[in-house]
Amino acid sequence: MRAITPRIRQLVRARRRFLGDSDVEDVVQEVLLSVHAVRATYDPARPLMPWLSAIVRHRLADAGRRHVRQGAHEIGVDDLDVTFQTPVANSREETFGDPDALAQAIQALPPGQRQAVELLKLRELSLKEASALTGMSIGALKIATHRAIASLRRALRGTDEG
Amino acid sequence: MRTDDLIDRLGRDVAVARPLPTPGMRTAVWTVWAVSYLIVVAVMMFAVMSSAGVTPTPLYLAQQSAALVTGIMAARAALASVIPGGKNRVWVLPAIGVATWAAALLGAGALDLHASGTLGVTSQSDWPCVVSMTLGGLVVGAPLVWMLRRGAPLTPGLTAFLTALAALSFANIEACLTRPHAFAVTVLLWHGGTVAAVAALCALTGPRWLRWPDLRTR
Repeated sequence: MRAITPRIRQLVRARRRFLGDSDVEDVVQEVLLSVHAVRATYDPARPLMPWLSAIVRHRLADAGRRHVRQGAHEIGVDDLDVTFQTPVANSREETFGDPDALAQAIQALPPGQRQAVELLKLRELSLKEASALTGMSIGALKIATHRAIASLRRALRGTDEG
Repeated sequence: MRTDDLIDRLGRDVAVARPLPTPGMRTAVWTVWAVSYLIVVAVMMFAVMSSAGVTPTPLYLAQQSAALVTGIMAARAALASVIPGGKNRVWVLPAIGVATWAAALLGAGALDLHASGTLGVTSQSDWPCVVSMTLGGLVVGAPLVWMLRRGAPLTPGLTAFLTALAALSFANIEACLTRPHAFAVTVLLWHGGTVAAVAALCALTGPRWLRWPDLRTR
């Protein structure tokens, strides 16, 4: 895996020149997961590159289709600061938006909860993918996420009030 | 998550994956299953009716041989389509098979026209064959779907189409074995229509049931 990763990265970059580094890395990771899942289809008697290139090509196409599908349901907004002037409308939840405090609160979480939040909420992986990566069951991931969100809510409320 | 961490996780506790047999070998395994199913149906028909109810004329045998070859080639193409890096035009051989099968039926239709003065388009409805082929196709096709799900769904629509074509080609032989047809065009319209409709439906729904394998470390 480690040996073929630079080649996968190179292939992804060559085919999607407009992608940023983090997007490239997302696709690379998706390809690695796919390679791992269908490794039984590789015949050691045949050359590796056509096999690998085919997976990269199709996973890139899948990612492109998913991007278009998601884009069709999203509306680009240039300015998000639309709100009412009255203090009542600007509730505590709406005005809270300190990313540093949020990052600190996430770092303060127990490792299991932190990992669940990072995978499910920040990286937006599915439960199944997160389960595959962590080895935790889907139920345990749900519980960890629920507890993490509750802890974050408590911690951030304290920060906001303080 | 960093890519290096992902690689570490994927490499941890991973079992050695035994390479899949070649598409040809897997096709042979599936063909044994499909032919066994046909033999069981034929034996049951002989036991119940003392005869399969059909006369094995050369034309009949040519049609069924074409259907058999189409089924085998479609199964091989479907199994090859889930191996990354294989040939892109896997559909060519099944397409030739379908063309040969249709030509055999059209030839028989021309002979019907010469002998009876009609193609018999409206002479016989064939709903029992539609039901029989659909159910038989499920029995024959289910193991093929199971085999395909071990591969990479690179072109799920095409793979699903070829799977349905393979299964229904065999189911067509079963339907022709158990129910005699007076006119070849009846077979072409009803059996061909069933194959086309089910295959098109499978092609549309293929991406839903031919997904990338579970990404959980196996």
